[in-house]
Amino acid sequence: MSLTTIAENIVKILQNYWQIFLIKGVGITLLLSAITVFFGAIFGSVLAFAKMSRFRIIRLPVSFFIELIRGTPILLQLYIGYFIVPQMLPALGMSDFASISVALIINSSCYMSEVVRSGIQAVDKTQTEAARSLGLNSSQTMLKVVLPQAVKNILPALGNEFIMIIKETSLASTFFIGDLMTSYLVVKGKTYLSLESLIIVGAIYFALTFSLSKLIGGFERKLKTSD
Amino acid sequence: MKKLLALALALVMLSGLTALAADGGVLTVALSPDFAPMEFIDISKTGDDQYVGFDVTLAKFIAAELGMTLKIKPMSFDACQTAVQVGAVDMSISGYSWTEERAKNFNLSDYYYAGDNETEQVVIVKAEEAGKYSKPEDFAGKVVAAQAASLQYDLVTKQLPQSELKEFKVIDDAVMALMSGKVDAVAVAMGNGESIIANNPAIGMSGFSFEVDEKAENNVVMIQKGNDELLAKVNAALAKAYEQKLYGGWYEEAKALAGIDTAKQVSYTEDGQVAEDQPQ
Repeated sequence: MSLTTIAENIVKILQNYWQIFLIKGVGITLLLSAITVFFGAIFGSVLAFAKMSRFRIIRLPVSFFIELIRGTPILLQLYIGYFIVPQMLPALGMSDFASISVALIINSSCYMSEVVRSGIQAVDKTQTEAARSLGLNSSQTMLKVVLPQAVKNILPALGNEFIMIIKETSLASTFFIGDLMTSYLVVKGKTYLSLESLIIVGAIYFALTFSLSKLIGGFERKLKTSD
Repeated sequence: MKKLLALALALVMLSGLTALAADGGVLTVALSPDFAPMEFIDISKTGDDQYVGFDVTLAKFIAAELGMTLKIKPMSFDACQTAVQVGAVDMSISGYSWTEERAKNFNLSDYYYAGDNETEQVVIVKAEEAGKYSKPEDFAGKVVAAQAASLQYDLVTKQLPQSELKEFKVIDDAVMALMSGKVDAVAVAMGNGESIIANNPAIGMSGFSFEVDEKAENNVVMIQKGNDELLAKVNAALAKAYEQKLYGGWYEEAKALAGIDTAKQVSYTEDGQVAEDQPQ
């Protein structure tokens, strides 16, 4: 197959199906990623603090849960989220989109919890000691001294996680949730031009993740100026 | 909350996943809508109407026969089978051929017949080699691709012993391999092959078609193992569709829809019949 044929086919596909890639696909991928990152960051922080807890009874099960989620394929978690959870809890009446989101949020909060935890623990211990000897109590120390410094450590890794999630949402296409990779499945199922559709989808993913990483880079520079 | 959820998940796994879908007159059917003309998505429509193709028409017919409302659940081919297995859907209609393994793990319906195009199994090659193959010996030393765990895989193994078999997870990848010269030929169902050729002028029919045994010729509906009541009802509906000779018309409509995107508006009446074409 020649490159010109591929290029011609790409143009042909874009002419006929651009809206399914650029409107529906991009929209749902971004929505799903934003939901996942937002709730993942919140629950991830909660998990991080639970894992650093003084109490063994909190620390141990949380550590195990994090290891379990990080150590199993996300596809399995999506299957459980999609098939098992709605059957277990029919009262919730979760839509397909909701159950996929929940599975992605659980997965991402476990990764994020490690990011948050390492960010906090990377803050020099002398900072805590100094704050405590100045008379701040432990929660004041955490909120006013440790966390502001931890955020700087966390942000680059968090941005990385966001980019990972954008790509991971592509697995949700297993259930035709409507994201970018679903657009690919729909178009190649119709046209049988899979390489061309995949190149289009890849270019869009790259455009999304590249602009995102530039955005995060900008934030990082801003934070650096305070150093 | 996290712990509760984890606990709940653990409980489910222990309890053997026996939850039953409580359906209030809704028939849920899983299918993988990336396989024109059997099931695919018409992007000019939204909601449940966007799913079209032969199997979708059949699903509508079965639902109407059972007096239930149809709800299509789109998911990947692998996931469809899991969905039936765990009871997340009532059945899956997604171009399944009968295989022994499937018969062991699922209740399979009687056969339905999508048309000669789905029955006939062929080999596609590059356009410049089209028509140059007529007998199994012509494939001696050639690399022939087939989808893993498919009917075509079995056919290549048995009927083209002198060729070298290469497996692919999906047909599209095999077609890409053919276009880039990594394989010499791809074994596909006739209807599938025609759709591929229609979109890729660089590909043509080899001229060879497989001998297919009767069991594998037709498609089946996949139902959860042990749900004999639903199986009987589905078989009754299939028998009715067969008697009324509906299959051929459904297939032609599906093909027209797959070939010409939105040129024709096709609608279905209550009992699953294809209504008259209306120009847009």
